[in-house]
Amino acid sequence: MSRRMHERLSSTLSYLYLILICTAILLPLSITLYRAVVVTRPDGSMTISFQSYTMISEAFWDKVLVNVSISLLTVAIDVAVAVPAAYALVKYEFKAKRLLFTYLNGVWYVPGISYGLALVLSYYFVYKFLLGFWGFVVAYSTGFMLLALLTAIVAFRNLDPVYEEAARCLGAGRLKTFFKVTLPLVGPGITAGVVLILVLSLNEFITALLLSGPTRVKTAPLQVFSDIRHAGIQPFVAAEATVLQLVSLAIVVLYLKFFGTKYLRGAIMI
Amino acid sequence: MGRRWVTLPLVTPAIALQSLFFFLPLFMILIVSFTIRDSFFFSPIYTFDNYVKMFRIYRIDFQNTFFLAGTAGVIDIIIGYPFAYILLRKVTRFADVFRAILIIPLFGELYIAYGLLYLILPGGPVSRLLDALGISPLDVLYSAPMAIFGMSLYTLPFAVYNIGISLQGIDRSYEEAARCLGASRLKTFMRVTLPLSLPGIITGWLTSFGWNLGTLAIPVLLGGPILGTRVLSNQIWTTSLVTSDFGMGAAIGVMVVAITMVVFYVVVKLSRGVLV
Repeated sequence: MSRRMHERLSSTLSYLYLILICTAILLPLSITLYRAVVVTRPDGSMTISFQSYTMISEAFWDKVLVNVSISLLTVAIDVAVAVPAAYALVKYEFKAKRLLFTYLNGVWYVPGISYGLALVLSYYFVYKFLLGFWGFVVAYSTGFMLLALLTAIVAFRNLDPVYEEAARCLGAGRLKTFFKVTLPLVGPGITAGVVLILVLSLNEFITALLLSGPTRVKTAPLQVFSDIRHAGIQPFVAAEATVLQLVSLAIVVLYLKFFGTKYLRGAIMI
Repeated sequence: MGRRWVTLPLVTPAIALQSLFFFLPLFMILIVSFTIRDSFFFSPIYTFDNYVKMFRIYRIDFQNTFFLAGTAGVIDIIIGYPFAYILLRKVTRFADVFRAILIIPLFGELYIAYGLLYLILPGGPVSRLLDALGISPLDVLYSAPMAIFGMSLYTLPFAVYNIGISLQGIDRSYEEAARCLGASRLKTFMRVTLPLSLPGIITGWLTSFGWNLGTLAIPVLLGGPILGTRVLSNQIWTTSLVTSDFGMGAAIGVMVVAITMVVFYVVVKLSRGVLV
């Protein structure tokens, strides 16, 4: 076998392998979508119909709205809190920097199931005012802050200090430099964090499961879970399961279309 | 103006958020784990009973959880290593598409569980194929392999990420040297590349294991009533919030945190500071 043919074969096999694994990854989503929209008629023929989406109860859409509001508030809080911290971590040298970084990351290493229970206990005894909608916002903001921090750190690190120095030399104040020069340059990196937080908080399940009891707030994934347990695999449940997945997918695809994978690499991608 | 007065206000909100809503609750779960049942709510009775009883009553849950999460981690390494290697070394076209697809499992275990549930259930797309092969769909559905398959799909991105990071860190001149000195491709891989990427393999497995310790929907929906419900995450949920035995729930919760902490401590040590 010639060298060229050998290379061709190896390249083809490589792509086949990636496609095979990606098919497995896409399998659950596509099979859910199939269940939601493909209808088998009594005579055996199959058609595509979006009727299952009309069968979703209004209560579910309300929960989607609750979910979206929680996610948006979470994003707002996380960006407001994490971007300044990331800026300080990258730009200034101070004692115990690594320790601080570990301190801020700790929550990422605790499984959602334990974290959820810990939060429930603290809501019962200390933060009684959080037993409700805001309990979710606080829980998600704390749990996902790392993602905003990490992507902002990557963005600030990639930022060439020359631009800021130039602005400062030309007489702009610290604050003006930050808003007019630094922020626009690191924007796409911070948006990467926003996308990750949106996607993860829209679909968060296990912490929500524990919080839903005491807070009496139910998010959309919880409705899907209880519908799976009670209504099984009926088409409307499949339709419910696809709603937030497709929203998340759209968010990710839109982001990648505008900014590519550059700002996500090193944070969650290789 | 001193540096400190610039740094401090910038990091304070982040520290406050984590202190109030992460470290304080974590401290509370530790305290509650030493109290009997829901006595913490009235007049706390402190005891070590929960920890003593835990390993007796929930031994099988520990076994199931470790078995499922551990095996899923091994599968992630076996599947994820070639994936990361090919993505970084062999493929240039469409590489970003493959990268993007790897985000999808992050949407959550619930959806993976649902998709696979429908795939296998009687009347589902695969059941006819299984019937033809003489396998009952229910044997496949409520079984360990199905739960492990779901878990390994869920955590595959973490394995690929960790292995990829360590592959990127390998100085290619070592491999070139081995090739120049006459080692075959296979030998170069086995003797040079694989040992150098070992930290990535270990961190990948541990990360996958750590995340799967906390999964609930996959084992409960796919593992069936015998295996699937007897996992630690489900026990934490049911003992604390369904049967109100907050003491025991907290004790299992603390145990899971302790195990994960040890796991991730090893990860951070091995990965030399690269984030998980």
